[in-house]
Amino acid sequence: MHIRKTLISWGFRATLLGALAGTAMLTTTAPAAAQGLKSYDSSKPSFWKNPPPDWFLGDETQAQKGLAPPVGPATPTPLAELETNLKNIKLPAGFKIEVYASGLPEARQMAWGANGTLFVGSFGATNVYAVTNANGKREVKTILKGLTMPTGLAFRNGALYVIAIDKLLRYDNAEANLDHMPKPVVVYDDMPSYVAHGWKYLVTDKDGAMYIPFGPPFNVGIPPTSVSQIRRVHSDTGLAELVAVGVRNSVGGDIDPRSGDYWFTENARDWISDDLPSDKLNHISRLGQHFGYPYCHQGDLPDPKFAMGHSCSEFTPPVVNLGAHVAPLGMKFYNGAMFPAEYKNNIFVAFHGSWNRHQYQGARIERIVVDADGKNPHQEIFAQGWLTGKQDYSGRPDDILLAADGSMLVSDDWAGAIYRISYAK
Amino acid sequence: MTRRYDPLTLISFRDFIRCLAVLFAALSLTPTAWAAAGDVEAGRARAQTCMVCHGAQGISQMSGVPHLAGNGDQFLQWQLVFYRSGRRQNPVMNALATNLTDADIRNLGAYFASLPPPGTSPVANPDAGLVAQGQAITTQRNCAVCHTDTFVGAAAAPRLARQRPEYLAKALSDYRSGTRPSLGLAAMTEASAGLGDADILAVAQFLATVP
Ligand code: HEC
Ligand code: HEC
Repeated sequence: MHIRKTLISWGFRATLLGALAGTAMLTTTAPAAAQGLKSYDSSKPSFWKNPPPDWFLGDETQAQKGLAPPVGPATPTPLAELETNLKNIKLPAGFKIEVYASGLPEARQMAWGANGTLFVGSFGATNVYAVTNANGKREVKTILKGLTMPTGLAFRNGALYVIAIDKLLRYDNAEANLDHMPKPVVVYDDMPSYVAHGWKYLVTDKDGAMYIPFGPPFNVGIPPTSVSQIRRVHSDTGLAELVAVGVRNSVGGDIDPRSGDYWFTENARDWISDDLPSDKLNHISRLGQHFGYPYCHQGDLPDPKFAMGHSCSEFTPPVVNLGAHVAPLGMKFYNGAMFPAEYKNNIFVAFHGSWNRHQYQGARIERIVVDADGKNPHQEIFAQGWLTGKQDYSGRPDDILLAADGSMLVSDDWAGAIYRISYAK
Repeated sequence: MTRRYDPLTLISFRDFIRCLAVLFAALSLTPTAWAAAGDVEAGRARAQTCMVCHGAQGISQMSGVPHLAGNGDQFLQWQLVFYRSGRRQNPVMNALATNLTDADIRNLGAYFASLPPPGTSPVANPDAGLVAQGQAITTQRNCAVCHTDTFVGAAAAPRLARQRPEYLAKALSDYRSGTRPSLGLAAMTEASAGLGDADILAVAQFLATVP
């Protein structure tokens, strides 16, 4: 398996050399063709601040041409239709999936309040939701509106923390004020305002420090200062540490209950091919590790344009390559009591699914069994069935959260829903 | 193919349009990507308040108010979602849309999509010169790859044929100035960039009179 992967990347490198050789010829012989051409030069601050609407199309390849993110349904999928969709989800024996809540447009990261309120962020919908249980009836409320990409959130000491691109906001005593959320306190705002890959995820450690990913505002390039990194922000003081660099777009992570170390998912660059490079699962074993971006992808593939003499051995390799264009987002270590014992400390990852691939893949939940030091990784499918056609979804899982009873919640921003996966012998 | 690795990676406007077109074609061929259609009858009942401006059969007689009849279900739904969230700004439509539920939006989309589109042009005496000029611009800019050759629209790209000209012109200048963000891929922000005022008037005249 390992040998095969290496062969593929070598073949790919040879093709690239050919391609690069051809480039010089083309630019000198075809000046007329340059007229009216559109430039995707991402090296300028103007590009980062105001990326062109099609910024993700940068560095398009002939073979990948025509691929673009799919447009989802305008409104969240109605309950009856969600229930029909879930009939097609395959799980291991003994597991069951049901709709936990519906009607949450573009639902993203989830966090529990101390009194059992489920808080849910969103993507372009600008909202934060609260799912409450009143008299045995589950209710969805939109508690905040008009935030820029409030994808990430966390709950600590009675306060809801929401991260909206360049501001970490704290809403005190949130659960008692769901109908009239208080004015937020800005906890930390030393963050760039780039929206592209600027949507974030929040993970709190036992001391209340928050791990925050900073993605580069384009597909691939030498990143502006202050991004392509993961910081740990102390929510009480606003002090920030740099914990990892060389990271592309990470929108998920969790703390290993065995070691206290931070692990995170990372979406690899687009526009190389349908099968390269692989998205990653990483483990920070030492502060300040460099994970390779933009020089090296998937631990063994120098970037065709930005490797610039670097070799992959200079960087921290992934724990496991998860697959190309599967889009791993939210993840959790399983430390609940409901699932069978062999799931203890396994990692569950929500695969959001492809857009930059002819045949979409992902849109499923993956199970990763791995030692605390990152050794002996094994990866398998846990839940699948949201991929309904070659380029078609009925849903796209994007985050995972465990409930007090050990069951698992999954958020889906395509269908605007939350599911619950439970186990019974 | 080789130029894709040029340090100054370039992609032509034409290529860009083509690649978006593939996406839109894919979307229109895969109806399962969308939620099930809304209820036309419930939509008809909810649409009573819309008729004052948008016309009894979704064919508007009012300047600045677009025809809705025969437009795409998904397109209509997204626009209502945008008005409701404030992402698309119009005082009248923002106020009306705040009260719409998701089910209302699905039903209204299904209802207006089910109505027969305008059979005649809203322009009584078209200016032949302007029409020809507008046609040339739309051909040159490949507008048809998303809006289809007959401009009846497909999936997220709306019907333009025989839409009211003053509304078409306003829509194009709203995209051009960025005051109306375009759906998903920002297709229209891209397509309207660089159109002059005179170009917009010509394009509007042509589209309003498409046979
Ligand atoms: C008081 C007049 C008025 C009423 C009533 C009204 N509209 Fe509108 N509508 C407008 C105007 C004006 C526009 C164009 C606004 C703009 O330029 O963005 C519009 C635009 C729209 C659009 C966007 C169409 C397009 O082609 O982009 C939709 C969809 C729409 N209305 C649906 C409705 C529905 C559904 C109702 C009833 C619930 C309704 N409208 C009621 C005046 C009205
Ligand atoms: C890549 C696909 C694509 C191309 C090319 C394209 N359009 Fe569009 N067009 C769309 C989409 C999608 C929308 C709806 C966008 C939104 O959310 O407002 C739209 C909306 C419009 C509207 C608004 C209509 C209404 O009822 O509100 C007009 C007018 C329009 N296009 C004209 C044009 C013209 C003229 C061209 C060529 C210069 C063109 N389009 C090229 C995809 C395209």
